[in-house]
Amino acid sequence: MNFLTPWFLLGALAVGGPVLFHFIRRSARERMPFSSLLFLRPTPPRATRRRKLEHIALLVLRCLGVLLLAAGFARPFFPKGNAPPPGSVGRQTVVLLDTSASMRREGLWPKASAVARQYLERASPADGVAVLTFDQQPRTLISFTDWSSWPVDQRAALAKQRLDAVSPGWGGTLLGLALTTAAEQFADEASRAGVPGPREVALISDLQEGARLDGLQGHDWPKGVRVIIERVDSKLRGNAGLEILDASVASAGDGRDARVRVVNASDSDRERFLLGWSAETGAGSTGKPAQIYLPPGQTRTFSAPDLPPGAPTGALRLTGDNEDFDNTAYFAASEMEQVIIAYFGSESANDPNHLRYYLQRAFPETARRQVELVSTVSNYVFSLEMLKRAALAIIPRSLHADEVKAVREWLAGGKTALLVMTNVQSDTTLAALAGAAGIEVSEASGDYALLGEVDFTHPIFAPFADPRFSDFSRIHFWKHRRWTIPPDLPALVLAKFDDGAPALAQITIGKGSLLVLAAGWNPADSQLAVSTKFLPLMQTILDWSGGAASARSQFQTGDAVPSPISSGDALQWRRPDGKVVGLAAGTPFTETDLPGIYTVMAGSRLRRFAVNLPLDESRTAPLSLDDLARLGVPLRSTAEFPAAKSPGEQRRLQQGELENRQKLWRWLMVGLLAVALVEIALGGWLGRRVKTLEVTL
Amino acid sequence: MPGTVSTASSSLARERIFADPKALMAIRNLELRARVVVEGFWKGLHRSPYHGFSVEFTEYRQYTPGDDTRYLDWRLYARTDRHYLKRFEDETNLRCHLLVDQSRSMDYGSLTYSKSDYVRTLAATLAWFLHGQGDAVGLLSFDERVRDYLPPRHRHGHLRQLMLALEHQPEGRWTDLSEPLRRVAELARKRGLIVLLSDLLTPLDALERSLARLTAAGHEVVLLQVLDPNELAFTFRRPTLFQDLESQQDVYVDPEAMRSEYQRRLADHCRHAEITCEKLGATFHRVVTDQPLELALVDFLRGRSRRNKLIRRRSLAFSSA
Repeated sequence: MNFLTPWFLLGALAVGGPVLFHFIRRSARERMPFSSLLFLRPTPPRATRRRKLEHIALLVLRCLGVLLLAAGFARPFFPKGNAPPPGSVGRQTVVLLDTSASMRREGLWPKASAVARQYLERASPADGVAVLTFDQQPRTLISFTDWSSWPVDQRAALAKQRLDAVSPGWGGTLLGLALTTAAEQFADEASRAGVPGPREVALISDLQEGARLDGLQGHDWPKGVRVIIERVDSKLRGNAGLEILDASVASAGDGRDARVRVVNASDSDRERFLLGWSAETGAGSTGKPAQIYLPPGQTRTFSAPDLPPGAPTGALRLTGDNEDFDNTAYFAASEMEQVIIAYFGSESANDPNHLRYYLQRAFPETARRQVELVSTVSNYVFSLEMLKRAALAIIPRSLHADEVKAVREWLAGGKTALLVMTNVQSDTTLAALAGAAGIEVSEASGDYALLGEVDFTHPIFAPFADPRFSDFSRIHFWKHRRWTIPPDLPALVLAKFDDGAPALAQITIGKGSLLVLAAGWNPADSQLAVSTKFLPLMQTILDWSGGAASARSQFQTGDAVPSPISSGDALQWRRPDGKVVGLAAGTPFTETDLPGIYTVMAGSRLRRFAVNLPLDESRTAPLSLDDLARLGVPLRSTAEFPAAKSPGEQRRLQQGELENRQKLWRWLMVGLLAVALVEIALGGWLGRRVKTLEVTL
Repeated sequence: MPGTVSTASSSLARERIFADPKALMAIRNLELRARVVVEGFWKGLHRSPYHGFSVEFTEYRQYTPGDDTRYLDWRLYARTDRHYLKRFEDETNLRCHLLVDQSRSMDYGSLTYSKSDYVRTLAATLAWFLHGQGDAVGLLSFDERVRDYLPPRHRHGHLRQLMLALEHQPEGRWTDLSEPLRRVAELARKRGLIVLLSDLLTPLDALERSLARLTAAGHEVVLLQVLDPNELAFTFRRPTLFQDLESQQDVYVDPEAMRSEYQRRLADHCRHAEITCEKLGATFHRVVTDQPLELALVDFLRGRSRRNKLIRRRSLAFSSA
């Protein structure tokens, strides 16, 4: 038997008390009030054997009471093994560990890691533990299944081994998503393990003000789940962060300023900061930094100093605050994109009765993109070299054999062309490009046709999928061509007329695609050019063809960067740490977990984009727990197991848990009560007996 | 009354008639206790040989110069045009002072009640009895000094005041008999009955002189010494630290060794008081608190009766001589 608080056993020395009092109380108890001592004379006291040995039973009972009391306070327990008692229901704990960028602050991660370790070490054999890390996405580090599958004596060690591999990243904090995901772990575990024990979510986080609590409002928490807040605090208070707002207006070397948003945490004690450009790596500054003034708790937008001329990228540094993890904002100047569309028509650009008139106006110049419509002049033949510069080809007429050959080869290399069937003579061109014989094109009869069926799942029509934009029924097609798709042709109908004829179809040719539109947008054919759908449709076709993708150059950590081309060869993405990732064309790049300048080689062009921290991570003032409580999070004020620091303390806590389970002190207290009752009864009986004897004598 | 006394003094009658003191003391109301004891005794016998100014009118007497004009009956003068004085029957024929010891030593009791309870009940009984037969009863309670004093009266409500005064618990630290006797000698101008109820457990050096002053003034003095049975028998068995209730002093005494000496010294003390009373013509009675109160009342009346006979015999012998 061991004792949890053995120093209370020193209280057993008080057993000498009753022995002593049995002698002392003798003379005190025998004091007899008497009316007068006038006739009495003092007599010397006589010591007799009977006086010393009187009431031995009472003495024994009192000594026993003292011993039981001392033993009870010493909290005895039997040191059993780690096996859980049969039938016991363990505690289910989800340790939710914050790995967001704000946890990079000085001293936070060691504290958080230590608290997480405590939960792992505290877990009894009957308990279940899962560990989830989270920033913008919750990730399961250890599941309940993992934990229960491990040997009992190795669980803590294995779990700590996995925990050691974790470190805070650069992501934002989606606390709401993390908490709801943690709660779902219990639901899964309950369905697997049956009747659950106590269920707790131990949230180990700095709980900064910028944590997003989306999804908590109205969340239906499983019954009995409690959230324990284990807040880790930084020694330093106050922080400031920055975010470059619009990269397009800060193009390199054009003399225009970049706009930068700066936030100062509400608990900050600084108000003056410096903004200056440094090299891409963030080491050393270039140019003179600008001084800004920002009171605590406010967010303002400033003009960044001029970027050094000719620099495609840069790092804007903020100095003057206490925390350094969020003081660098990376910048990649967006480049004006030159897009060429090869137009196989020869009509005048100013004739509104033809296609080109509308097409020319469908692609205005923007800050990010300049579209050039290159057309043939009077049956001029496009060469393959010319076509290679174009992102999209639009074919409104029948092609010559040479043109067909060049276009087909160009298409097979991963390009996109739009064949507009303005007349039934397009059948030969279509058959030649598609490489399929037997395609017949005929003029449709009837008054007019409408689009009856549109595939909004296709990327071209996906932007119109919202019911607000999906109404194509107002576009009248006065004339259109009917054609049938041969069964062996790899074609996909994207839109159909209401008579069932294909309106827009995609035919795969090699790595590229040929889009076939069965009617023109000139006024004689349809109202498409004058409808609200024309411009976005042309833009999506151009984007889908890869001519305008990835113009954006500023991203946040965790964002998915769209592929600059939708088809063609695999792309090589290079991270700031030098790691190269190869992805197929059209596959978004998602490994943006590191702030810095990323590059991607799309064909012969090198694109740069910057990835930065979310600005909310810089708002490091403590989040009020009242906010969580208001959102219905079932908070528990303190953890049952506070963080222990030393192995000795851990052992004591384990012993405490064992003692708490056995609760032997209760039996000792019951024994003490029984002894006290017997002592009272015996003392009373002896007192009455002595008095009776005195009266009798 | 002598016949009553003789009847009541038989032991058989005591057992049959008298109330058990324990049962009596269980009654909390002092007045009720006294009424229970007195019940059965008939009312007073004496008619006053004096005429005073009290509540009971007796006759008119014609005014003679020199009489106090305050007692002129002006209504009668208005009707008859004569001057008459109103004459009253004196309120009492006996003025009794009850001197009750309320020192701390009276707080001792080996029974379910203390000597003080017993003495206060006895005093109330005497007061009730005397009041019932038309005598005036006064009270003087004392310890080391005089606490309460009620002059002897026989008025409505006086007995209630006396009972309330008797309800006071003992407070004094020690007992001084000379002071209350001196005070009562000063206050009692007329001859009357002085009854001292005390345990007399105090040095009696000044007792003789104080009693002599009272007896010389013609007062009839009765000493009722009230003792607990344990004070007489000293039945303690084991060596004990005895604490004086008055002085709070502790003395370690082995009762087995001390009993005979204690009893001898107490007997000497009581004998000394008895001899003093006998010498001064005062009546001495010892009352033990386990005795019925009626018996104490009977002993008191018998003592008075005996004294009156003795006085009459002495006066007859004196007149014949």
